[in-house]
Amino acid sequence: MARVNAIPGLSALIACVALLLIWDGLSRAFAVSGLPPPWGPLRELPNLLTEPETLVNILASLRRMAIGFVVAIAFAVPIGLMMGRSRAVAAFFNPLFMVIYPVPKAALMPLIMLWIGIGDMAKVLVIFLGVSLPVVYHSFQGARSVEEKMLWSAAAMGLSASQRLRRIVLPAALPEIMVGCRTGVVLALITMVTSEMIARQSGVGNIFFTALDMGQYDTVYAMIIIIGALGFFCDVGFEAVRRVLVAWAEPSHQIAVGSA
Amino acid sequence: MNGGTVLPLVGRPDRIQRVATNLIEIAAVSKVYDTSQRGRHVALSEISFDVAEGQFVSILGPSGCGKSTLLYIVGGFVDATSGSVRVSGAPVTGPGPDRGPVFQEFALFPWKTVLGNVMYGPLQQGLSRTQAATRARELLGLVHLTKYESFYPKELSGGMKQRVALARTLAYQPKILLMDEPFGALDALTRKHLQNELLEIWERDRKTVMFVTHSVEEAVFLSDRIFVMTNSPGRIRKVFDVALPRPRVRAELLVDRRYQEMVVAIEKLMDEQEPELS
Repeated sequence: MARVNAIPGLSALIACVALLLIWDGLSRAFAVSGLPPPWGPLRELPNLLTEPETLVNILASLRRMAIGFVVAIAFAVPIGLMMGRSRAVAAFFNPLFMVIYPVPKAALMPLIMLWIGIGDMAKVLVIFLGVSLPVVYHSFQGARSVEEKMLWSAAAMGLSASQRLRRIVLPAALPEIMVGCRTGVVLALITMVTSEMIARQSGVGNIFFTALDMGQYDTVYAMIIIIGALGFFCDVGFEAVRRVLVAWAEPSHQIAVGSA
Repeated sequence: MNGGTVLPLVGRPDRIQRVATNLIEIAAVSKVYDTSQRGRHVALSEISFDVAEGQFVSILGPSGCGKSTLLYIVGGFVDATSGSVRVSGAPVTGPGPDRGPVFQEFALFPWKTVLGNVMYGPLQQGLSRTQAATRARELLGLVHLTKYESFYPKELSGGMKQRVALARTLAYQPKILLMDEPFGALDALTRKHLQNELLEIWERDRKTVMFVTHSVEEAVFLSDRIFVMTNSPGRIRKVFDVALPRPRVRAELLVDRRYQEMVVAIEKLMDEQEPELS
């Protein structure tokens, strides 16, 4: 993408303002109770965010999201890497994931609730399922495309097969794994909200859907803005981490010249 | 993939002790690929030769003659279909630090700095970080990359990458260098520079080198012996002993009749093979 904005964030600000104006225009044009003009929700935002209950709910959501995400990565990365390096492992897991892939993970929520109740565990499990698949897939792709000669070089140095998986395949596949994790962050957020729609005790989704049931549309739209903002900050945060971890793989313009 | 364990080179009780005059013994090595799409392809057919310790040998041949495959079999990266390879008298069953590869593709670890790459082998061998860094810096000096130790591979030119790869392999002190068209991806000038540097480094301790190339001049300039291979199936066609004096200086060699004659003789031999390619 070309750099259009001289002032950082300016184009984003313009886009946000434009969105609010369109929203305002639409709500005036159609005048339905489910689409209030944006100014009510915007006024509602500070009220919501200063209320301790909202913060407790947001934190509860983020906590589940973080647990589900971390457990998913701890599980999905090793499986993906092993699938990428061993045909037998890939042949074993591939059909399994092919079946699970198109199933909306949140649709499993009622079943999971039957198994382990409606508590935190059920929601964490759904988030875990949602995050796992893209991470498995990208870890698999990353591991599969690791240069054979790099592994040979490591083998000649005396690294065993398991050492090569941890110390060569993992870092070599890290840029690709990170792509999967980034998709995973967004999916974690989506499954988090959906799981809270189905099992409401706490969380962002709880406030959102309860307000919806009661027709408090200012709160509903304020929550949409908050969820959007959460997604945005999660992504920005993750991108910052990613950049540090795989700086070595980013294209560089500082090609050293001189002694060829 | 093989476990990469190092076999003890001497004193195996299950094997008759013998005096190893030849460091590498290749006996009737064949490699056959059975693919469902293209059928049976004989890449190597009954290759046998020995390499004495301290010799610089080249495997010369057209592309696709299996010369790299032969090198990979000696390295233990690829299994032979039949035949055996012995190094220091012990059969090769997998890769090991006694045989250090240098690949055309460099195969550096991109997440490690230049220094980190060269330290990798010594650290794996149990050296402390300080010892490993000392050894790595010494080798980086040898390949003229001292100033670049904190660079990442992506920031280097092809020639510099291959210097790092050579230093990385030399750092774990293999008995044998296995060089797989190491200068094949480089421009002509860089290639000449690196050939000179390789010879300079080689003159220091005269490690045994197996060098795969398709450049006749490169093979004659560098080697003590040249094995010329034919195409499908890969066979040794002829062996040339290069009796040119060392240390070799390119400018002197270029006007040396023996050098010129040998280059011409090998070129002619390889031209005769050309029809077999089609």
